[in-house]
Amino acid sequence: MTAAFFLLFSWFMVTARTRRQVVGVALAGTVAATLVAPPRVLAQGDLLAAINAVLNVINGLIQTALNSINAVRSTISSLYQGVIWPVQLINQAKAQVSQMISQYRNLMQSVFTINLKSATLPAPQALESLMRNHLTSDFGALATNYTNTYQAVPASTAASPDDRNLTDMDDALAVDNLKMLKATDQADDLTLQVADQIENGAGAAAPGSAPFLTATAVAASIQSQAVTQKMLAAELRQEAAWLAHTNALRKRQATFTGQLGAQIQNLLKRN
Amino acid sequence: MKALLKKLKYRVERGLCWTGEHKMRAVVLAVILAMVAPRPAKSIILDPCCAILAAGLSTISSTLSNVVGGGLNGILSVEQTIANFEQTVVWPQNLIAQAQALVGSLQGTYTQIQRVVQIPVNSATLPAPQQLEQNLLSGNSAQIGQTSQNFVGVYGAVPPANVAPADVRNEVDMTDAAAQAAMKRAIEIDQLADLEIQAANQINQSIQTAAPGSAPIIEAQADAWLVRANAYTQAATADLMRVRAIALANSGADVKSGAANTTGLGQQLMNLLKRQ
Repeated sequence: MTAAFFLLFSWFMVTARTRRQVVGVALAGTVAATLVAPPRVLAQGDLLAAINAVLNVINGLIQTALNSINAVRSTISSLYQGVIWPVQLINQAKAQVSQMISQYRNLMQSVFTINLKSATLPAPQALESLMRNHLTSDFGALATNYTNTYQAVPASTAASPDDRNLTDMDDALAVDNLKMLKATDQADDLTLQVADQIENGAGAAAPGSAPFLTATAVAASIQSQAVTQKMLAAELRQEAAWLAHTNALRKRQATFTGQLGAQIQNLLKRN
Repeated sequence: MKALLKKLKYRVERGLCWTGEHKMRAVVLAVILAMVAPRPAKSIILDPCCAILAAGLSTISSTLSNVVGGGLNGILSVEQTIANFEQTVVWPQNLIAQAQALVGSLQGTYTQIQRVVQIPVNSATLPAPQQLEQNLLSGNSAQIGQTSQNFVGVYGAVPPANVAPADVRNEVDMTDAAAQAAMKRAIEIDQLADLEIQAANQINQSIQTAAPGSAPIIEAQADAWLVRANAYTQAATADLMRVRAIALANSGADVKSGAANTTGLGQQLMNLLKRQ
């Protein structure tokens, strides 16, 4: 590169014809030579200082920073493994789930499935059996057996329209509730199944998978609460109907009392 | 050879002659040559700068390896331990997938519960009770406006003033009011329960596609729904208590009326006997 430059420059200098050309070539050559000239050689003292500066940065700033990062990450690691998610406590929690399953589940199930039937006569026995079988596919049989035990609504020739309405409404709400209870008994069985499944899942869960189970358990609680509300609504209807029934009798009694009073007064007036 | 030397001598003489004639050009050429002439290469053996540079670079290299490399390796080791711990103990992918699958399988059970509690249970046989029953079991709060009318169709209205005394009419009206309010509340609660079941299913579906970090957010929402559901249960319980309180009040009122009627009857009999 340098040789090529010098040859080229010499050629222009030799072939220049006028003084002006010589000066121009000289100026251009000087500028170009300044650009292509080798860099200044550093003194020994400067070089040592630069190397020492780099070493100081590495041994000081970088080493301190790396040591600090390492210390912090080690502390975080210890915190995770020793305080937040200690493996032995995780295993202990899982073992407790398994232990409690074996301690309680069968016991509670056996308590809950004790036969409570108590009727002694055929018709009540059949009704009681249907009332407590947790099935929703035999509502027709339930209504039939209810009538067998509690009789049908009197015929229009045998009772007043008011009495027939009252008894039909009483029967309807009673049977409605018995049907509703069969449905909620079944829902109850399903809810218990859900609880068992969630508990089984908890026994095999990790801290990171447990939130799924707690979330679904809360969703199951909402459903369970909704079923409880349905039962309460049915109970409300039943209690309200009972109150309305006694009140209807009170209305009738008040009417009869008024009529009786009027008749007695008429009788006394005639005498 | 002789001819070549002669030619060379001629060229040199001519060059010197040119230099003599063009002194300025020769000086410029000499200066430029001096500027751009390559420096001699520095030997690692002879030049102390190279030795210092080599030693310095070697020290920097070993320092980088020991201090920076060692430090980074230490951090890498800790990071690998943490990553391994998180992947195997805290958030193991297989257990997360297992939990999501369990949530998915529970969805089927939730749907079954929803279906079971929505089976129709209507049982009345006569027109007026059928209408009231349909209204009570509708689970539709828009039908609450019809409840009072259907109620009167089955249980009768409050007796008019010329038929029953004021205290009896008040008692009857209050009792009907409590019974009707409880029936209306039952319609509301049925509808709310249906909506809660629907929301619970929705929440459960979103859990199936959640991440371990987002599941607690869904859980928080579900908790809020549970709190709300508890409030509705309390409202229903309150109405149940009101119904029972009115029934108790009626029992007391009946005793009071009986006592008053007995006293009045005794007085009237005394008056009758006195007249005779």
